[in-house]
Amino acid sequence: MPTIIYSQPDGTSTEVEVADGGNVMRAAVNEGIAGIVGECGGQAMCATCHVYVDPQDAASLSPVEDDEDEMLDCTTAERTEFSRLGCQVKLGGPVQRLRVSIPSDQV
Amino acid sequence: MSTIPPATCPFTGTTAAPLDAKASTPAASTDTDGREAPVADWVRIEDLRRNPFPIYQRLRAEAPVHWVPAVNRYMVTSYAAAHEIEQDEARFSANERESLMKRAMGHSMLRKDNPEHQIDRDSYGATLRPGTIKKHWNAIFEANNTKYLEELKAKGPGADFVWDYAAPYTGENLRLICGFHNATHQDMQRWSQTLIDGTGNYADDPQVWAKAAASSDEVDTAIDEMLVYLAKNPDHSLLSNLASFPIPLEAIRANLKMTIGGGLNEPRDVLSTTVWALLTHPEQLAAVKTDPALYAKAFEESVRWVAPIGMYPRETTRDLVLEGIRLPAGARLGVVVGAANRDPQVFEDPESFNIFRPKKPHLAFGGGVHFCAGTWIARAQVAQIALPQVFGQLPGLRLDPETPSVDEGWVFRGMTRMPVLWNH
Ligand code: HEM
Ligand code: FES
Repeated sequence: MPTIIYSQPDGTSTEVEVADGGNVMRAAVNEGIAGIVGECGGQAMCATCHVYVDPQDAASLSPVEDDEDEMLDCTTAERTEFSRLGCQVKLGGPVQRLRVSIPSDQV
Repeated sequence: MSTIPPATCPFTGTTAAPLDAKASTPAASTDTDGREAPVADWVRIEDLRRNPFPIYQRLRAEAPVHWVPAVNRYMVTSYAAAHEIEQDEARFSANERESLMKRAMGHSMLRKDNPEHQIDRDSYGATLRPGTIKKHWNAIFEANNTKYLEELKAKGPGADFVWDYAAPYTGENLRLICGFHNATHQDMQRWSQTLIDGTGNYADDPQVWAKAAASSDEVDTAIDEMLVYLAKNPDHSLLSNLASFPIPLEAIRANLKMTIGGGLNEPRDVLSTTVWALLTHPEQLAAVKTDPALYAKAFEESVRWVAPIGMYPRETTRDLVLEGIRLPAGARLGVVVGAANRDPQVFEDPESFNIFRPKKPHLAFGGGVHFCAGTWIARAQVAQIALPQVFGQLPGLRLDPETPSVDEGWVFRGMTRMPVLWNH
């Protein structure tokens, strides 16, 4: 199964296995990973599922669409070129192992 | 607003100072044992309407879920339980049986579960999203705000903040967002109130149904007309988007009625409540006046403190246990976000209005797939545009000491009277 590794700002990390097609926000909320809120349940409407994807993996992910792009302007922690909305990043296919960092602030 | 560089959030600015507040992620409860829900037969509707918060305090301290005979529902008052419901539509359905909302407005997205819900939600396109707000709606909201602030000023001190400004301002904004170029903001307010009265018509009053049905017919006629017009003259409105979207007319009608009912009163109420809260907390008012970036915080704290939609329904799809309370399949629940937002397990000193409290996610916009589609519209028109102008243009704004303000309601809560004075 595809695996996501969540790294917290304090350096600790957690590995979570997800089904094909699962996304970074849903997996985190189901596992109770701190720092990912997912208020809007994946509607790309809240920006409380913000993560920084590992630079090495960034290129293999589906590109940022308009809805995600405008919402990434509303993240609480700083947006960088590796910022994504967790709910829009799906696992499966070429993306079998993904490392993401959780920002220090989400609301 | 137009002065904000393109890469920043149009509502909150880009970054915020680091805070140690973390989201609370309650653990899901298992569907095994659990106890019966206690019965709260002492809860009375009149008391809830006047001031629900002491009742919520008592309920929450006793159990996260109660059976409340007066409301004919289980009331869920803890943050953890409300949050668990929002995140799990498989066990907690929005598609309530015998829903008064369905009777008054038709079967809208708000009462559908996925996958059906998502089709309706997607039919709203980009109209309510931040990009469209920034490019298109903000300028319109600013023009409307100028117009209705001028009308308030013309009325002079003693005017009512809610009815002489907040209601027409938010009504006019929603009229244009929906695309009702053939109606007035007065029509919008009347439709909204009569349709909402229908969704709350537990007493089955035939007159209430008659008024709701009359409004429903008027809205249908207005929609039919506008769909033809907007197909030829497209704009950024919801109806314009819907004119070219493959979706049954029945769904368009129900969704628009739900949006009229849910998109007008809430911004009006949060605008009035926030101004009232700031006027009664002068130190916080002084702070926002010196740092306008704090208006966004005042807005967010205000919707936490007095959630404009205090309760919304869900129904269990199976026997289950919620935060230790056993619930049968088909149980009708009221998710009381007005209470969850003051849960002391999550918010320190929850009863007070404090724009400087550590940031935590509140539940006033709901959560999960039904998360309010108008969240950013509300933030833009109230926090970004109205609040700074209200305090900027009405020097010495204060509540009228002669005629006290009135706040009331619990399913919907806001100011129902708010006479104000200012120096002019
Ligand atoms: C401060 C203002 C507002 C508050 C507190 C608020 C609150 C809410 C809440 C709690 C829900 C979810 C209810 C449930 O799950 O049963 C909701 C849904 C919704 N709201 Fe708002 N609302 C506000 C403003 C608006 C505005 C301005 C609009 C439209 C322009 C709007 C449109 C909607 C729509 C379309 C839904 C249904 C979403 C869905 O079912 O997927 N709201 N709102
Ligand atoms: S969960 Fe809301 S934007 Fe991702």
